[in-house]
Amino acid sequence: MTAIVELRQVSKSFGNLKVLKDVSFDVQPGEVHALLGENGAGKSTLIKIISGVLHPDEGELRVVGEAVRLASPREARGRGIATVYQELLLFPELSVAENIYLGHAPRTRWGAIDWPKMRSGARALLDSLDSHDLDVDTKVGLLSVANRQRVEIAKALSQEARLLIMDEPTAALADSDARKLLTIVRRLRDRGVGIIYVSHRMQEIFALADRVTVLRDGAFIATKPIGEVTEGSLVSMMVGRSIDQLFPKTETARGATVLELRNVSHREIVRNVSLTLRAGEILGIAGLIGSGRTETALTIFGITPATSGEILVDGKPVVIDSPAAARALGIAYVPEDRGLQGLVKPQTIRENISLAIIDRLARLLLIDRRREGQLARESIARFGIRARGPEQLVRQLSGGNQQKVVLAKWIATEPRVLIMDEPTRGIDVGAKAEIHALMSKLAGQGLAVLMISSELPEVLGMSDRVLVMRGGAVVAEFDRADATPDAVGSAMTAAGQSSLEGAA
Amino acid sequence: MTIRSFLRHETILLLLLVIALIVLAQQSDRFFTTDNLLNQARLMAEVGLLALPMTFVIVTGGIDLSVGSIFGLAAILLGVFWHGLGLPLPLAMALAVLVGGIAGLGNGLIITRFNVPPLIATLATLALYRGLAEGISQARSVRGYPEWFFVLGQGEVLGLPTQLWFLLAIAIAAAIVLGLTTFGRTTYAIGANEVAARFSGLNVARTKLLIYTGSGLVAGLAAVIFVSRVSTTRSDMGTGLELDVITAVVLGGTSIFGGRGTIIGTLLGLILMQALKSGLALGGVKGDGTIVVIGVVLIAAILLGNLLSRNGDG
Repeated sequence: MTAIVELRQVSKSFGNLKVLKDVSFDVQPGEVHALLGENGAGKSTLIKIISGVLHPDEGELRVVGEAVRLASPREARGRGIATVYQELLLFPELSVAENIYLGHAPRTRWGAIDWPKMRSGARALLDSLDSHDLDVDTKVGLLSVANRQRVEIAKALSQEARLLIMDEPTAALADSDARKLLTIVRRLRDRGVGIIYVSHRMQEIFALADRVTVLRDGAFIATKPIGEVTEGSLVSMMVGRSIDQLFPKTETARGATVLELRNVSHREIVRNVSLTLRAGEILGIAGLIGSGRTETALTIFGITPATSGEILVDGKPVVIDSPAAARALGIAYVPEDRGLQGLVKPQTIRENISLAIIDRLARLLLIDRRREGQLARESIARFGIRARGPEQLVRQLSGGNQQKVVLAKWIATEPRVLIMDEPTRGIDVGAKAEIHALMSKLAGQGLAVLMISSELPEVLGMSDRVLVMRGGAVVAEFDRADATPDAVGSAMTAAGQSSLEGAA
Repeated sequence: MTIRSFLRHETILLLLLVIALIVLAQQSDRFFTTDNLLNQARLMAEVGLLALPMTFVIVTGGIDLSVGSIFGLAAILLGVFWHGLGLPLPLAMALAVLVGGIAGLGNGLIITRFNVPPLIATLATLALYRGLAEGISQARSVRGYPEWFFVLGQGEVLGLPTQLWFLLAIAIAAAIVLGLTTFGRTTYAIGANEVAARFSGLNVARTKLLIYTGSGLVAGLAAVIFVSRVSTTRSDMGTGLELDVITAVVLGGTSIFGGRGTIIGTLLGLILMQALKSGLALGGVKGDGTIVVIGVVLIAAILLGNLLSRNGDG
């Protein structure tokens, strides 16, 4: 069988930095080929070469056996290579059908857009993806992330894609949507489409991939059939050493209750949530997107103050009506969206780390630059932030190191309660293990940690207790020993929850 | 966005300024005289005063289009308080400055309480405050201020024009606040990422409110100085002033998208602008020509700045 796409000894440099070194890679029709590597390993560069965004410096690119030089992404699409990007590139104000056929709409004899044909074509494509409930006339801006992704895929298929590149397609999806996406991917594979699949989620790779290729520091490490690798062997290929544990959870003594919520609500989004959080404990919150988990965190942190119910810190009722009030009570929040909510990216590491305690670093309103610099240097050492120094701009750091900066900023406030929302979203496996280790260590030092995550393995691996939220309310609670993937998973989706519903 | 890149932008401005001064001195032998320089300093004091709080406003990613109108309103009310209501002149002066502050507070409240974009909010108050000024004045001007009042706008203290001392004092205060204090740090953080600033527990609304109020207060002060300089009060005073002010700030390297800018840069931008105006006028270039040159210099400075900041990123 001829490979749809084949790279032979491809190299690529930016300036002096060689980001790909003699990499060979191929995708067969009807194959899911997973591409693995830490951030900066060269995955994106490889994908960009295949999709016509970049040209290789050396080596050749063959499409269906023919050596080509793709001048542009447009030419790549013309040859049947389509990409579903991490940030979806759709037009929110246009309808589903318009987005699918953007740029190649069917025409009538007179050159006008053939609307009936376009709508029925879009319908047929979506049906073939098992998305019967998606209306072709809806504006894309109104759709959920999962549905938008289906529109992207339909768009790729409308151009008769033979190769589909999927870059972290499930990163922004809840587990149930992710499972549906996997079904769609299998369906495409059975139809003979070749798929390059990039993901940090190991489960998916084992559920989906036929072969897997690992890159590290721009170099080709191996291509193997999925049956010949294990999670452990993949991870050690990716990081070049073996990671002892992805979830280094240590048993810690639980102290007194630090934070308690009694029937706390915020409008209709957070409903009568009650929970207790003790010193030294990691309490995990599992739930789908929109289940109210992030919203609960935002209420505790004072962004969306509670509209009813009671919040107690150290057993005393408190009012939290702003992040400043939460901070003063020793509550810290490492937010879900690092770039938007967590960091001032154009500023330096020093300025970011001191941001939440800038008042405390000032004497007579003047910032004590010496203490600020010292704090930054200490944090860089303590959290293992890989950077040139305190004056490096945060936007130049990798995702994992950016997350450590956010964590350092909040630990500098000496909090008693640390809320971590999606603590390892979009960061590679090495940095993930480091963040988990930090979290464990902090809990061991007596910090009360509330962790929200879409990744079930993370919740189960790190938590002492697990709360499950659905529809704005807490619907189940498990101790570490009872928290099995099945039990937590079915509590997250409504399946078989009538008994617990009554209890909650 | 590091200190280094700030300095680089300012170095370029300084270089531009030196070149401009040399060229202008060649054009006319009257340019580099003590008299002319001091007179130019006097003329730029009002725009300079307004440019200082405007630097804060633009660093937060906002804009204040209403400063020219607040300036006009305060000028008119100075005349009305003194001549119309018969209040003692010092009290009238204080009240005029206070009115400026209240007008600025109004901007701040609209922007922070109702989440109106600053461009729209101050575009509305630009019309509103100017309309008030014209309604109050009924096109009548006020003259006949006592002699001592002119010290402010026409007199000298220790050999320098009085208003230059005001400009220097407020500039130094502004530079310290923006560069070295928590308030300044909050201002930069808001401009670079307002959401993250809020999520870090910074008081975003209070900071913005203070900045817009300060902008109004300074506009009131500048109006009093201006009335003293031209010895009369009219309702159309300060029309279009906001454009000169914003030009000086942006020329000084403050990013219109927020998060970047310094007081030193603004002062350099201001001096460069005034030098061009005066030098070109002395060299016989007509008013239209001067505006064209200022436009070209502004574009050149921004292009250079972009080029540098792009190279500066890793």
